[in-house]
Amino acid sequence: MTYVIIGTSAAGLAGAETLRRLDPKARITLISDESHLPYSRPLLTYLLGRETTREKLFLRSLDYFREWGFETLLGTPVTRVDPGAHEVHLADGRALPYDRLLIASGAKPRLPPIPGLELSGVFTLRHLADVERLERHLAHARRVAVVGAGAVGLKAADALAHRGLAVDLLARGAQPLSKVLDQVSARLLMEAIARLGISLHLNSWPTAVVGNGGRVTAMALNDGRELPTDAVLFSVGVAPRVEFLAGTTLAAPEGIPVDEHLQTGDPDIFAAGDCVLPRHLLTGAPAAFHIWPAAVAQGEVAGANLAGAARRYDGILPMNSISLRGCRIITGGHLTPDTPEGEIFEELDATTGRFKRLVFDQGRLVGATLVGEVRHAGIYFRLIANRTPVKDLPVDPRSPHFHPGRLWARPLPGAA
Amino acid sequence: MKTVIVRPERCVGCLQCRLACAVEHSQSKDLVAALGEAWRPVARIAVYPGGRHLSFPNKCRHCDPAPCEAVCIAGAIRRNPARGTTDIDPVRCINCGMCAMACLFGVLTFAPTPQAPERRAVALKCDHCPDRQAQGRPPACVEACKVGALNYGEPAAEMAAKGRFLAQAFFAASQGASESPVPDSIRLWRQLG
Ligand SMILES: Cc1cc2nc3c(=O)[nH]c(=O)nc-3n(C[C@H](O)[C@H](O)[C@H](O)COP(=O)(O)OP(=O)(O)OC[C@H]3O[C@@H](n4cnc5c(N)ncnc54)[C@H](O)[C@@H]3O)c2cc1C
Repeated sequence: MTYVIIGTSAAGLAGAETLRRLDPKARITLISDESHLPYSRPLLTYLLGRETTREKLFLRSLDYFREWGFETLLGTPVTRVDPGAHEVHLADGRALPYDRLLIASGAKPRLPPIPGLELSGVFTLRHLADVERLERHLAHARRVAVVGAGAVGLKAADALAHRGLAVDLLARGAQPLSKVLDQVSARLLMEAIARLGISLHLNSWPTAVVGNGGRVTAMALNDGRELPTDAVLFSVGVAPRVEFLAGTTLAAPEGIPVDEHLQTGDPDIFAAGDCVLPRHLLTGAPAAFHIWPAAVAQGEVAGANLAGAARRYDGILPMNSISLRGCRIITGGHLTPDTPEGEIFEELDATTGRFKRLVFDQGRLVGATLVGEVRHAGIYFRLIANRTPVKDLPVDPRSPHFHPGRLWARPLPGAA
Repeated sequence: MKTVIVRPERCVGCLQCRLACAVEHSQSKDLVAALGEAWRPVARIAVYPGGRHLSFPNKCRHCDPAPCEAVCIAGAIRRNPARGTTDIDPVRCINCGMCAMACLFGVLTFAPTPQAPERRAVALKCDHCPDRQAQGRPPACVEACKVGALNYGEPAAEMAAKGRFLAQAFFAASQGASESPVPDSIRLWRQLG
């Protein structure tokens, strides 16, 4: 069998390794338009903030591809997939035949449709090359504006402030992370942002990037203000990278549609990671949520299924860890209950800034947010994923006694 | 592969394991000197009240495969097959908290450590005391535990022994004798409340 995998990041490598374990003799070719060894994309903001080094980005050794017996085409963009002919077309004109194909092409940053994006000093952050470009520009910058206060925007703002730059952070809504955070957690987060010296602008978005002599000098905002800045970093969400599927019926704007085996509309093509539109673990509805662990988990399932294993992907449980300097938040599952019977429990310790918020629906935990003390997050998420009825638990998750002791220490008969 | 085997039914919550763990993971490995160190020594084992005089020592289970390893975006968590441990490399850890999101047992703490002096904090958890292991000594928590709640041994052998013990206890019970699975000292201590 000849397998081709597009993308050598979280999903592509997890897929390739799983496939190799199941099919030691397979011919596996990995393609990426990036020319470096595989690296950790989430570490890019830490590299930007000088909290890690370039060499620590690389998660696999120099010999990795040879050790695993993977053929590689790095620095080679895929321009087209021809499902009928079972061929992948490359930018250099070559066509690569495959028996089965895994698409793990990830996502690309979106940009708002505003004037001035061509100016020098306008950036997005997705690839290692983006950090290198940013670094060159930041050598002459003092003020940077980050547009979009999602997980990536927050981490980027923290990193830039850590380098001593003056940072403006623009949130479109009334709070950062408006899709995943409740108001109390958001307030605690905003207090931390202020302590980092980042200027947060709520309900703000740019209507134009303004420049002088080809370089960014300011941003025009929706409220008529002009915000002076030396650089603009857009982090306003991502779109799946599916341009090479034009002309096929495989792609949709929100991601490649897949079934529970991560099989696309074509039985010989599977897809995994940020490029797909998976199902929500709890609701079963299509839900895009882009995190590294989900891309790895999907890559493993898709890789096994390339080899014919027929494994199921249970679905994605949205969750994330937001760790800024001086603020730690882990949140996941539903922000609000799906039904009117649902209930939200909140407990704030005002002196320590610790906060616990639980969302219940139909007798089950469906969402959890922890601020400050996060060590038990994984326990809550396991209860959510397993759909464990609250009444079956030895202790109620709302109780201050909800901890490993009460969960797992069972009195012995006759010992009390 | 030897590992720390926990028998929560024996734990009396004396916290000696926490103290020993914190000292072992200090720079000096000495209780008095550790108190004055720049990095506050942190215990990687927690003891929770379990209700009804039970206590529950909670620590990393060194899962294999480990959920924390699968989600680590820094490549800092790796299986050490030779030691049978799942280890965190403090130099690679970037304190992102993803491991706490994935850990089913709630065992991660985040604190500064002398192993990565330039970091504000890193993820810390049980490492089965590698320095002691190199000297052929059991982990500090096991050595400190006076009631047999923490033991260092082969899980398979321990399970077989426990199976034999339960079989005997069951047999004895069916003969009308009553056998308590906890030592008298612990049973009596519990009766105090
Ligand atoms: C700055 C930043 C910080 C993040 N932080 C976190 C975090 O803390 N925690 C977390 O869980 N997630 C984080 N994420 C998200 C996480 O990085 C992604 O979910 C993950 O990388 C998705 O993996 P993937 O393999 O699906 O796609 P990607 O990592 O995007 O990889 C796809 C690869 O395919 C290549 N490719 C695409 N199209 C083609 C083509 N036509 N031809 C050839 N090659 C192609 C791309 O260049 C890329 O190398 C972060 C993302 C960013 C950008």
